[in-house]
Amino acid sequence: MGLMDQVELPQPVKYVFNWGRKYSLWCFNFGLACCAIEFIAASTSRHDFIRHGVIPFAHGPRQADLLVVSGTLTDKMAPAVKRLYEEMAEPKYVISFGSCANCGGPYWDSYSVTKGVDQIIPVDVYVPGCPPRPEALLDGIIALQHRIQNESLKDRIAGRRLDPVTLGADAPLALEGSSS
Amino acid sequence: MTDVLARRDRALTPEETEELLRDRLGDGVQRSVLEFGVFTVWIAQEAWVAAARACRDEPLLAYDLFDNAFGVDAREEGFDYVAILYSTSTGNRIVLRTRCEGGREAPVCPSMVEVYRGADWMERETWDMFGIDFPGHPSVSPRILTVENFEGWPLRKDFHLASRAAKPWPGVAEPKEMDDEGNIIEREKRIGDAPGPYELDKVMGEQAKLANPLPEPPAVTEEGEEVTATAQSADLASDSGKVLAGEQERGLEEEQKLRHDADVELAGDEAEREPTTGEQASDEANQGGSAIAAAEAAKKADDRRRTQAEARAKKAAERAAADESGDDPAGPDDPEGDA
Ligand code: SF4
Repeated sequence: MGLMDQVELPQPVKYVFNWGRKYSLWCFNFGLACCAIEFIAASTSRHDFIRHGVIPFAHGPRQADLLVVSGTLTDKMAPAVKRLYEEMAEPKYVISFGSCANCGGPYWDSYSVTKGVDQIIPVDVYVPGCPPRPEALLDGIIALQHRIQNESLKDRIAGRRLDPVTLGADAPLALEGSSS
Repeated sequence: MTDVLARRDRALTPEETEELLRDRLGDGVQRSVLEFGVFTVWIAQEAWVAAARACRDEPLLAYDLFDNAFGVDAREEGFDYVAILYSTSTGNRIVLRTRCEGGREAPVCPSMVEVYRGADWMERETWDMFGIDFPGHPSVSPRILTVENFEGWPLRKDFHLASRAAKPWPGVAEPKEMDDEGNIIEREKRIGDAPGPYELDKVMGEQAKLANPLPEPPAVTEEGEEVTATAQSADLASDSGKVLAGEQERGLEEEQKLRHDADVELAGDEAEREPTTGEQASDEANQGGSAIAAAEAAKKADDRRRTQAEARAKKAAERAAADESGDDPAGPDDPEGDA
């Protein structure tokens, strides 16, 4: 990447660059349980997140920018999620969709469920709910797009990440990310 | 392959099946239970594989499909292993059940794989979840459902959940532990009982008591009872398909009337309920005046209910008459039929 991780892009370039990135998120759906149904509902015509520039069902993790983990992650499945995440090219983003992916959800005391996908991969946006409505995913996507718009690629490539956002628990979207 | 003589119309009854199995296995058959349409045969451990073989190879039984298998934690008595067999020719299903040898420490059960290849992964799963070993199985490890380095047998009743150790279970330990009035039933601890009851259980018990006060026996006169009974039978009739089919064509008006009725009833119920609780409270406080008022209110509500019920009965009678006169509800003589 050469200079990219040492020099900040000029503001207009950065704006156009980020604007382009945030509206072409190829999305890789890691549907693991009931929440995946809500994800699919969000991708179909009624909620239709393509109008936000999210293109569902990337051919594979290598073509994807956004990983949506929707559903119950078990310890047995965790290595697969980790591996597919590693296969994705930077810059990559993760939305943790639903209580199970956030923290284990109703299976908080289970012997086989991983207590949150953030134990294995870094998460950008948490969408709470069991299951969250498709609208909540749209909200999460918009929150993520705010982050991308305000992101400094220099920081990103140097491995510095913003703190994750939890929908409904953090500052209003308009303020989010503006400080960095 | 053996000849399959059995057919659906010649399927053996549970009694005949048991007789046949006893004939072939002798003491291997311990007892049998027919519950909820499920025929369970308890098999002695030594006869386990022989029983499977008999079930598969006896032409009259012909259980050719290994349906399912799982373990059961029998608490102090150790573990059971249950196999469900199905016959595609007779349509019968049989449950074979055995108590594993080795108690809780090292339960073992002979493997059925030599008889049914399909038992392979079922036995692996059972080993994975209960730690029952299957001599004769090619290899029960590595684990297929849990991670390879998992320690312990998660479906055993005495398996400790790590998360529960860190954070006590927030709800009532077992659904059965409260009686109808919300009192916690004390009973002896058994293997695998959830810890508790906690303070929270008692609080929830109190809340349950408040939320569901014991119902008062309804004070209805004989006459009123009769009327209610007719109304109820009328209600039942309106649930049957015939009346409903006719009703579809009756249009909005009828529906609105019904809804209105329901509202009135609801209001009546409420009027009845409120004074009853008032009555209880005032009885405790020995306030005679308000008790009389409450009783009056209850009586009023009762009267309203009765008129209600009478009206309903009348309507049901009318409806029945209408149905008899015009049997085809969607007929052309029905003015609203095509609307
Ligand atoms: S959060 Fe709820 S709806 Fe979503 S996967 Fe878990 S249990 Fe299913």
